[in-house]
Amino acid sequence: MSAVELNDVVKRYGALEVVHSIDLSVVQGEFVVLVGPSGCGKSTTLRMVAGLEDISGGTISIGGRVVNRMAPKDRDVAMVFQNYALYPHLNVAENIAFGLRVRGEKNAVVEAAVSEAATILDLTPYLKRKPADLSGGQRQRVAMGRAIVRKPRVFLFDEPLSNLDAKLRTQMRAEIRRLHNRMGVTSIYVTHDQVEAMTLADRIVVMNSGRVEQVGSPMELFLNPANAFVASFLGSPPMNLLKATVTAANGAAVARIDGTDDNPAQLTLPAWSAAALDAGQRILVGLRPEHLEIETGTVADVQNIPTTVDLVEPLGSEALLHCRIAGQPVVAKVDTPSDVQKLAEVRQLLMPTDRLHIFDLETGRAVNGRS
Amino acid sequence: MRHFRKSLTLLATCAFLQVGTAHAQDASTKIVANPLELTIHFHFRDKYVYTENWPVEKKAAEWTGIHVKNVASLATSNSRDAFNLLMASGNLPDIVGGDVTGGLKDDFIRYGMEGAFQPLDDLIAEHAPNLKKFFDEHPVVRQTISAPDGHIYFIPYVPEGEYSRAWFIRKDWLEKLGLKEPGNVDELYTVLKAFREKDPNGNGKKDEVPYFAREPIEAVRLINMWDARVSGSERYGDFMVENGKIVHPWTTPNYKTGISKVAQWFKEGLIDTEIFTRGARDREYMLGNNIGGMTHDWFASTSNYTEALKDSVPGINFAPMLPPKTVSGKRFEDSRRATVQPAGWAISYSNKHPVETIKYFDFWFSEKGRILSNWGIEGVNYDMKDGKPLYKDSVLHNPKPVNAQMWEIGAGVPRGYWASYPSEEQWTNKMALDGIAMYKKEPGLLQPEFTGVSMDAKERATYDKYWPSLLTYMTEMQQTWVLGAQDVAASWDAYQARLEQLGLSKVIKVMQTAYDRQYGKN
Amino acid sequence: MTSRMTHYLKGIGEDLRRDWQLYLLALPMIVWFLLFLYKPMEGLQIAFKDFSPFRGIAGSPWVGLENFRTLLEDQIFIRAFINTITISGLGLIFAFPVPIILALMFNELQNEFGRRFSQTIVYLPHFISVVIVAGIVINLLSPTTGVINLILSSLGFEPVYFLTQPEWFRSVFIGSNIWKEAGFESIVYLAAIAGVSPTLYESARVDGASRWQMIWRITLPCILPTIIIMLIIRIGNLVEVGFEYIILLYQPATYSTADVVSTYVYRTGLQGTQYDLATAAGLFNAVIAFALVFTANRISRKVSSTSLW
Repeated sequence: MSAVELNDVVKRYGALEVVHSIDLSVVQGEFVVLVGPSGCGKSTTLRMVAGLEDISGGTISIGGRVVNRMAPKDRDVAMVFQNYALYPHLNVAENIAFGLRVRGEKNAVVEAAVSEAATILDLTPYLKRKPADLSGGQRQRVAMGRAIVRKPRVFLFDEPLSNLDAKLRTQMRAEIRRLHNRMGVTSIYVTHDQVEAMTLADRIVVMNSGRVEQVGSPMELFLNPANAFVASFLGSPPMNLLKATVTAANGAAVARIDGTDDNPAQLTLPAWSAAALDAGQRILVGLRPEHLEIETGTVADVQNIPTTVDLVEPLGSEALLHCRIAGQPVVAKVDTPSDVQKLAEVRQLLMPTDRLHIFDLETGRAVNGRS
Repeated sequence: MRHFRKSLTLLATCAFLQVGTAHAQDASTKIVANPLELTIHFHFRDKYVYTENWPVEKKAAEWTGIHVKNVASLATSNSRDAFNLLMASGNLPDIVGGDVTGGLKDDFIRYGMEGAFQPLDDLIAEHAPNLKKFFDEHPVVRQTISAPDGHIYFIPYVPEGEYSRAWFIRKDWLEKLGLKEPGNVDELYTVLKAFREKDPNGNGKKDEVPYFAREPIEAVRLINMWDARVSGSERYGDFMVENGKIVHPWTTPNYKTGISKVAQWFKEGLIDTEIFTRGARDREYMLGNNIGGMTHDWFASTSNYTEALKDSVPGINFAPMLPPKTVSGKRFEDSRRATVQPAGWAISYSNKHPVETIKYFDFWFSEKGRILSNWGIEGVNYDMKDGKPLYKDSVLHNPKPVNAQMWEIGAGVPRGYWASYPSEEQWTNKMALDGIAMYKKEPGLLQPEFTGVSMDAKERATYDKYWPSLLTYMTEMQQTWVLGAQDVAASWDAYQARLEQLGLSKVIKVMQTAYDRQYGKN
Repeated sequence: MTSRMTHYLKGIGEDLRRDWQLYLLALPMIVWFLLFLYKPMEGLQIAFKDFSPFRGIAGSPWVGLENFRTLLEDQIFIRAFINTITISGLGLIFAFPVPIILALMFNELQNEFGRRFSQTIVYLPHFISVVIVAGIVINLLSPTTGVINLILSSLGFEPVYFLTQPEWFRSVFIGSNIWKEAGFESIVYLAAIAGVSPTLYESARVDGASRWQMIWRITLPCILPTIIIMLIIRIGNLVEVGFEYIILLYQPATYSTADVVSTYVYRTGLQGTQYDLATAAGLFNAVIAFALVFTANRISRKVSSTSLW
């Protein structure tokens, strides 16, 4: 039995449909991350699960019960909000206790639960403080404390780390994951940050324009993106996508990179693709920045692509090269040589053929041998 | 200072010489040969100022050679404020006057004694034959406006005529119920009771209001029936004089009887239950709805309703009747026209032409000036017939009331002048005129008016300290009794004690001193 | 000493040069304060003088505390003062919570149209002149034709002539004032409620709070600072009851509960143009009001750490 089940869920505001037919099944104890750009419908979906938004169509069930018409308080979920939603007039202990108090729990029960949550979250010294006197990270922990004392069936996180600075975010990310490992409560987590998604999730749901683009484990999505959107959304820096046209040469498929260059760049496509592509088909060729090389490595099947370097961004042990191939921008992530200056003089990039991704330009769908 | 005095004398002499020559040219009215402009601050009745363009004022300027130029601003719509502001500024024009809420008499006297206005006695004696003659013929007016220091500081607006208000009753209701006009208290009781119970308006409902009134001063007027008075003057809750002694009418044994009887009548429904909250348009409501039976109000305006309502209230005859005889068998009318209105004008300390100014004031009391100030312009507003002015038909048969027409041209405005009753008589309706004649015929109907006392600074301080709270308390108790919240007999002694505690005898004492000084012991 | 002084002045000079735009912005307000609030204070000396407008403030003789003595010896003034405090006090108890309750109720209305409609309706009376309000009240309460009394008599009660009964005056006055002002005053609280983050409510909903609990545990505590500030201001006006409306409603018969300081001053002023006495009464009021506000602010700062200054 899945902990949370979304069946053909639709959200409409008047005539405007913002979430189109979402199907999702979350397994007991699973940590699912909804990720996508802003406005993709991920928060709306989460809020429909929480009961803060009406469901315009389809069904949502939690623990096997359909909750479409159920008030949030009866769904047995707890939610952590982006801006923490702490009550400014209550101290930390009372903030954490709020959910229990409104349910009329006995004082002793409340106190025990609060102190347990505070211990888990390292909040014990701050219990008497007001939210205004806490740091951002502490507030975030209070917000989580408020969720965990309730011991709900499902945790819902709505971009809980967005208001923190980069360092705290990394730290809290780890804490959330640790917390989940410890408590094992089913969690649905919404973020626009693919790094959070990759690091936290058991399974990622990539959403775009109110639709689910792909569902899968982080690596599955990273390695086999179902379409150009997923490909470009996951990974940092994102996958380079070059517009190209398929031409046939010597029995193998060749992609001619679109451009105005006199000498257009060409890529030989992997052998398995020949069957799946037609000559003249417009495609996107995907190249992960970290797969691009400047020196011949150990990989066998490598192609040379002529390029020009616009800009070099050294990151320490690695560097980002902003280049152009046939006029189209491409980013490459390479090891930093001893002399960084040399990178500016790079004239060609090396690409292992079997690492190329191919997407149909029109539909964005991945082209692979199986189809 | 000496230089200033000298030039003043010089000016006065010059003016006198000029008058001498002018006299030769125009025997009656010319005051100065060359036009002289005087400034005036005159804001009145909250919405008018003195206007040199009034036809009446233009005519006066033509006749006297004196042009008065108004400096009062219409920016304020409160004449009292305008006057106070002027006094506070200290920068006074040649003439200061007006007609404001609460009256200006006390102000003229107070500021006159403080030096703001020139005493007029000597000026009148030397230069104002008409005023002198008027004061000689009307010593009460002179006494009334005299300051505690014996001087006169202003020339008042003097009304003419005796009767102001009267008892009005629905004579058609009397006829319908087969009752005769009530001639005494008992008959009045019977009549009011019948109005209450016998459905004289014939609508099948007991909605008749036997006695109603629109003003606070009239609400308890029925205490007259027990020989008690409501006020010694036209001012609400004023003192009265009995055998040379200042008395407050609301402290007398008669008042005790009267107010307890009125309370009883009120309880029996003979007096409007809402009499204290009706307001100014009560007559329209009571008569227009055919429910009001009797009131005490102004002759002229109340007489209009019979004519005005004859279509909507068929058969209505709301007519004046003589005051019913009191329990002691007397017959009296409590109200009257004021001898002197607390309005008029004064000459300020900075006026460099006091002689010309007093002559100008005097002009309005001359026969020519009096006609001008009452009737307007000959040939335009009135014609002379048999030596008497008569309004033209165009004035009488105008949709606007005659007095409103007169105000527009500068006649009948509250400058220091002597109103002429005949000018009013001509446009008063027959019912009112007959009523007044009926009242006039009855001997000894009028009660003496308390014309007020002028107190010196110390007396005034005492009066100001105690009087407002006294009046507050007396009014409060009056309503409390009438409404039946307290019993008169039970609380009368406490009432008297409280009045004493609030300083009544102190107020009476200073007023008595002032009265004796002003009107002479006799 | 002088060097410190010059140093200080120099500091001011530098401030002025650096931030002259800010000072320029503040200037109109400073001038306004000096001209319209501080300059008129000169007139307060009238309270200690036997004032005559013609003689002017400088020319009128000093009388020390005579005017205050007159006031405090006058039982009618004392009664008026007590009435003022009573009416304001009862107003505080009964009228003060109403706009808050109204605001909470509006906040609970889900239908946007219904909400605007009802808000507009309760705001409207604020824009009606007191003269008309008084007229409406007098009509409603009329013993013969008033709706209230018609209802009373149809239920078998005796009609009550409310406006002439001292024991009814306060209820009528405060009640009609609530009707007139509560809607408008609720705007402040609505604004405060609008400032409460909506996620607080969402979070509470998920946590299982009922609407009632949300009002008590979230809305009210969150707008408490606003309530306290309004309360302090209200306490400052405790000795102030506007005279226009009272004058329109009261009768000599109801003086015993209706006569307040401002109406007392109004009557006194009309009788003898006694500016000195009126000023003394005003000053007396102001001093007491100041003491009240000061105390209330103190208490509030201690208890709830919210304060006016």
